[in-house]
Amino acid sequence: MGELLLHNAPFLLAGLRATLALAGWSALVGTLLAIPVALLRYLDVPVLGRVCAFYIWFIRGTPLLVVLLLAYFALPALFGYRTTAASAALVGFIVFLAAYAAQDMLTGLQSVPRGLIEGAAALGLTRFQVIRLVVAPLGARIALPALFGQYVRMFKYTSVASALGATELTGSVLLVNGRVFQPLPLLGIAALVYLVVCLAISLAGRWLHQRLAPDFAPATPEG
Amino acid sequence: MGYHFDWAPIWQHRDQIASGLLVTIALSIAGLLGALLIGLVVGTAGASRRRPARVAAVLYVEGVRNVPLLLHIYLWFLGFSALQLPAFLCAAFGLSIYSGAYAAELIRTGLASVPAQQSEAASALGLKRWTTLRFVIYPQALRAIAPSLASLASQLIKDSSLASVVAVGELAYEAGAVDADTFRTFEVYATITLLYLLLVTVSSHLILRLAPPATPGRRHG
Repeated sequence: MGELLLHNAPFLLAGLRATLALAGWSALVGTLLAIPVALLRYLDVPVLGRVCAFYIWFIRGTPLLVVLLLAYFALPALFGYRTTAASAALVGFIVFLAAYAAQDMLTGLQSVPRGLIEGAAALGLTRFQVIRLVVAPLGARIALPALFGQYVRMFKYTSVASALGATELTGSVLLVNGRVFQPLPLLGIAALVYLVVCLAISLAGRWLHQRLAPDFAPATPEG
Repeated sequence: MGYHFDWAPIWQHRDQIASGLLVTIALSIAGLLGALLIGLVVGTAGASRRRPARVAAVLYVEGVRNVPLLLHIYLWFLGFSALQLPAFLCAAFGLSIYSGAYAAELIRTGLASVPAQQSEAASALGLKRWTTLRFVIYPQALRAIAPSLASLASQLIKDSSLASVVAVGELAYEAGAVDADTFRTFEVYATITLLYLLLVTVSSHLILRLAPPATPGRRHG
């Protein structure tokens, strides 16, 4: 076990780094992408709001693996470009996460009490100011636990990139296993790493939620 | 765009795609039944008054759901390869154990949402512990969590696509096979995407219809 780790540590650590980068970038870009999508849906902007609704419905009804396969095989075939497993996975994850994050943000925005919005309007705030100063900050706080739930899910789901042949943590473990065939210790190590990082993300989410929104009920993340 | 669409090869391989769809449905049903069974046991333990039972439930839920489903499937396929389990079973076990953790959390919150007076009233009427659970507590808990169970089921259907990594001939796996046969890459993946969308939409409607009504005594549909 020790020898197994010692000999393969650099390779497995590179896999872990790739996993962290994949999850980190998709969480960051996906969240940024989700903000306009959620707002367009919330404001029910003609045409664009509908497009966003379709996007959310489409992604949420399609398995992640299929989204990745579309990004890796189907779209390059359709539009005639070349891509790599790692970049197709990144694009797939961003598009995937943004849909779920947008839905969570939308739910957050929609649960801001009507009375607050009417009160703000009565005070003479413009529609844009109401969104910027009242609805968005409150909605974001309400959506925070659900968003961190998505980050945890995202982190676990990065393992699916190995099905495209990307050498993130799971992919590296499978490659090492193909050489040494010691599946139990290798899978055990990977499981432990995923477990620790997922719990860390959950804790960070709970901490942030308590800091930003102490008045709301404590977070119960849906991992 | 310059892509020449040709759907005829997809239609010629319809049997293969249909068999993939059937395996996806079978795998989802097997996974859902296993998940509900595990969820019922672990969720009941989680809502128990006994502390050891609650601790065991938390350990199961957190230990299982923070590890990727893919690793759960590989654990049965590679880790316990000495058992020589068929790939379908490995995937079904992985799906059941993983989704079972989510089902357990749902059932635990469902049980907690039933007011304590319900079981007090039941015991005042002389009902035994098991009878109370079976006829008073579980039905009400189930009603409370029916919508969440529907989304658990559609999540499970989507997750069943990961069985393709251990060569279970479900929809995603057959799509790869048809693609390799025909090179109609876009057409075949577009087809299975539509099939998954259809499957997820239909099954969540079905579960919500089958579930007991939200208000007791009133049946819809």
